[in-house]
Amino acid sequence: MKIKTKLIILLGLIFFIHSCTENEFEGPSIENLYGDFEINEQLKIINKNPIFSNNEVVSFHCEFNKPVQWKISIRGLTSSASREITDFSNRIDSNMIFWSGGPSQVPFFTEEVCAIELTFENEIDTLRDTINIVSKKTYENGVWFEDFEDGFPNNGLIYYNTDGGGMTFSVANDNALLGNNYFEMGGRVNWDWPLGNIDLPVNISTTSQNSDNLYINIGILSDLFDLHTGQFINILISEETNTPFNDNLDNNSSDLFESNMEVYKMKVPVDWDGWQLKSFRYSDFEPVSPNNLDINHSMNPSDIKAIRISCQACPSSPGNPICPENFGKEVRTDIDHIIFTLNSALLDQ
Amino acid sequence: MKRSLIHVIVFFTVFLTVINLYAQVNEKIWFDGFSRSYFSRDAIDKSKIDDTISANNTSNGYNILDLNTHVNPIDDIEIFSQIRIRNSFGSFFGSGTEINVRQLSAKGVINNKVRFSIGDLFLKQSKFTLYNYNEELFGYENDMLKHYRDIIHYENFYRENRWRSQGIQTDFSFEFDRFIRSIDFDFFVTRPRGSSQINESMYSSDLLLSGGSVISKINKSLTFSGNYINLFEVASSGTHNISLRNPVHDMMLTYNFSNDKNHFEQTLQTGFSKRFWLHSELENNLEDSISNYTEGMYFVLENNYFKKDSTLSLKVGYRYVDPDFRSAGAQSRRVDYTAKRNTIYPTYTNASISRPPSIFDLVSDEQLYNQDLSSILMGFNPIYSNILPYGDATPNRSGIYMSGKFRKKNKSFISKINAGFFNEVIGQGTLEKRNFILFKGAAKINFHRFLNWKKELSVHVSSESELTRRGGDAISSLSLYSHQINTSINAEMAKKFFLQASCKQLNANGNEFLTERNNYGNITYFTSTQIDQKDYLLSFGMLYKFRDNVYANLHYNWWGVKFTDQIYSDYKFNRLLLILSVEL
Repeated sequence: MKIKTKLIILLGLIFFIHSCTENEFEGPSIENLYGDFEINEQLKIINKNPIFSNNEVVSFHCEFNKPVQWKISIRGLTSSASREITDFSNRIDSNMIFWSGGPSQVPFFTEEVCAIELTFENEIDTLRDTINIVSKKTYENGVWFEDFEDGFPNNGLIYYNTDGGGMTFSVANDNALLGNNYFEMGGRVNWDWPLGNIDLPVNISTTSQNSDNLYINIGILSDLFDLHTGQFINILISEETNTPFNDNLDNNSSDLFESNMEVYKMKVPVDWDGWQLKSFRYSDFEPVSPNNLDINHSMNPSDIKAIRISCQACPSSPGNPICPENFGKEVRTDIDHIIFTLNSALLDQ
Repeated sequence: MKRSLIHVIVFFTVFLTVINLYAQVNEKIWFDGFSRSYFSRDAIDKSKIDDTISANNTSNGYNILDLNTHVNPIDDIEIFSQIRIRNSFGSFFGSGTEINVRQLSAKGVINNKVRFSIGDLFLKQSKFTLYNYNEELFGYENDMLKHYRDIIHYENFYRENRWRSQGIQTDFSFEFDRFIRSIDFDFFVTRPRGSSQINESMYSSDLLLSGGSVISKINKSLTFSGNYINLFEVASSGTHNISLRNPVHDMMLTYNFSNDKNHFEQTLQTGFSKRFWLHSELENNLEDSISNYTEGMYFVLENNYFKKDSTLSLKVGYRYVDPDFRSAGAQSRRVDYTAKRNTIYPTYTNASISRPPSIFDLVSDEQLYNQDLSSILMGFNPIYSNILPYGDATPNRSGIYMSGKFRKKNKSFISKINAGFFNEVIGQGTLEKRNFILFKGAAKINFHRFLNWKKELSVHVSSESELTRRGGDAISSLSLYSHQINTSINAEMAKKFFLQASCKQLNANGNEFLTERNNYGNITYFTSTQIDQKDYLLSFGMLYKFRDNVYANLHYNWWGVKFTDQIYSDYKFNRLLLILSVEL
């Protein structure tokens, strides 16, 4: 082949490849990312008078010229309940961004007018509107729940350190999360970690979901008045199947939480004021005795036999000064509405 | 008498056994290996940094012995193992001493026709299918920093641009007396990553790499080669029903011709890739589907010229790589900026901010380097490599390149240059395309050869420049210039004893947009970055070469970075380094 022919073929190939080049670009537009922020379509709220009890939802739609961190804030003007929805995008799509009536945290919304605000990070623009809740959202009780409305359950057990001061391990009715009653857990045990616990038998043997799809929700009340900075709740769940719930009648605790049994735990530090509803995926619980090779740690929700809610705090007395700054401070970790839900946490329903 | 007889029998039995064992050692088992003693003391210069948190100085060191055992049970099979014994300085009576199997493999020949290897493999194909490209700042560096590079390459199993993996490989060839001269085959299957537990109920899938090569010498001048490689996940080995597929096809024609003094080689290479994620075993008996599908091609035309006496070589070529060309085997990077942190002073200042890597870290820190293939494009730092961060396989590049090497016959002067003019095939975040200019040059003057001295005296100088520009509006336009210079001097003061000094400096100035990609490699954001920094590394030391590959090295390094109008604070460090390296 002559050099001239080769040259013609080469130039033809280069021209061919060059002409194949598409007239477009990779990734999002830099002009949009770094240009001035503009709202292309104003905020639209679909269903401004929702009946949440009928599973209706409120949808949002808005479009901007570039991806930004946006936040929709919903605030109940009567209940002060609030919900926030955030994302990073250039479009709020009503098919994907909707609200089904639940709060981000307790208190719950009621039938009331709610203020809606759409704000954008690093931008001064704020879009406002209102909606009117015609009927508030109702929650199902999940696969198992305890709300103490009928007092402390007959088959449950309460244990607390009777040598402690101001121990409050009983049902109270002055400040419930929902309904009338809740369970107080608190007091002063300066020399030791545990203050007390309640044990409740659980039977959800018909549940077929795995541990990723079971959520344990619990309302916890505390206050910041002279806060004990080392207080926490330990939630223990037992899958021991060969021992009765209360095998030894001489103590006031269940016998399903021994160290040689299949027990899982979740530690919840309590450092807030008022009620908060906390939710935990069961698969996030840790084994209590991970090094015991005789225990087969395979989480199976249908094998759950009991739950223990344990009130604990780091000791502060001179004999055992783990956190001496808390000496004499009252521990308060009251609880209400322990609910086991499937597939999602209670507030995400 | 009886007693004496027993003594004689015992003596000869033991003696003959020892002789037999000695013979076995010679014929069936043999050893080699490598040993290194390393000690470094790093100190922070607090006069330049507001830092009362970091230690004023730290020291580290270790002794390692890599003992290679080669066992030949029969002539055609060799079993190889490399056992590493490592003892960190400060450990005591075995505490802190590690013993690991570093490599294990078996290889052999079946019936004198088919070769095979099992275990640790070091694999390489074409530059677009499977190729472990050199890291940035490498190639034009002075000899004084070579011991750092040697450690990085040795510890990360970087050998001749090969990727290390575990699996099985076989190759065989045929020779013909008509139509074609020969045809060689090579096939392999490896597992770069095994299934592993992510959480209680989730397991990642096995990642496999398979491929094959065919090389056929058609006649004296013409050679054809084809390569195929596929990086894929086996969905059934994990709990994910989404699995990667990344097949790449490559073929190359090479034409050689020569005369008495010159040799010419022309190469035409092309290929294409696909990459997608397969969704299989879906609920409700849904059919398998794919997502994030991309395909891309590449094309290379290259001309090489060599003088047969090796004094001159030239290369000129044109290369086009599609924006969507994806080849995990060729585009995985050695330096991993996202997952790795500096070993020396990873944080600094009283705010404990992460210390950005400098040229010293890239030159000396083996922990910054990666041994795994990545299914998506890994991040890179435009300061150190913006034009070809993924080597020749860098996607979205089109342009011409050239390189040359020249040396005098007596090696008194050695030089090389490398230049490239590229542009993007399509823009990133804008219709405007980046234009790139690359120029690298190095020269080494061996004065002792000029002057016929017995003792060595050499000076090395190199310069590397990268210029990136993009026009357009004020928002998307960019300009980044980085320039690196190296100088070093090597003087043999007494027989085998050298004094060495070197200076390495990098200036980077301008602005760029860093790309952020999601788990499927799609660009999600461009972070605008202003760059104005100066890295420097000064070294002075001495070297005693017992013989080739056996040396003792004592160095002192002054290194740091100066930032102008950046979020980082300047930093400055010193290092004392001692290395004793012995290849057994």
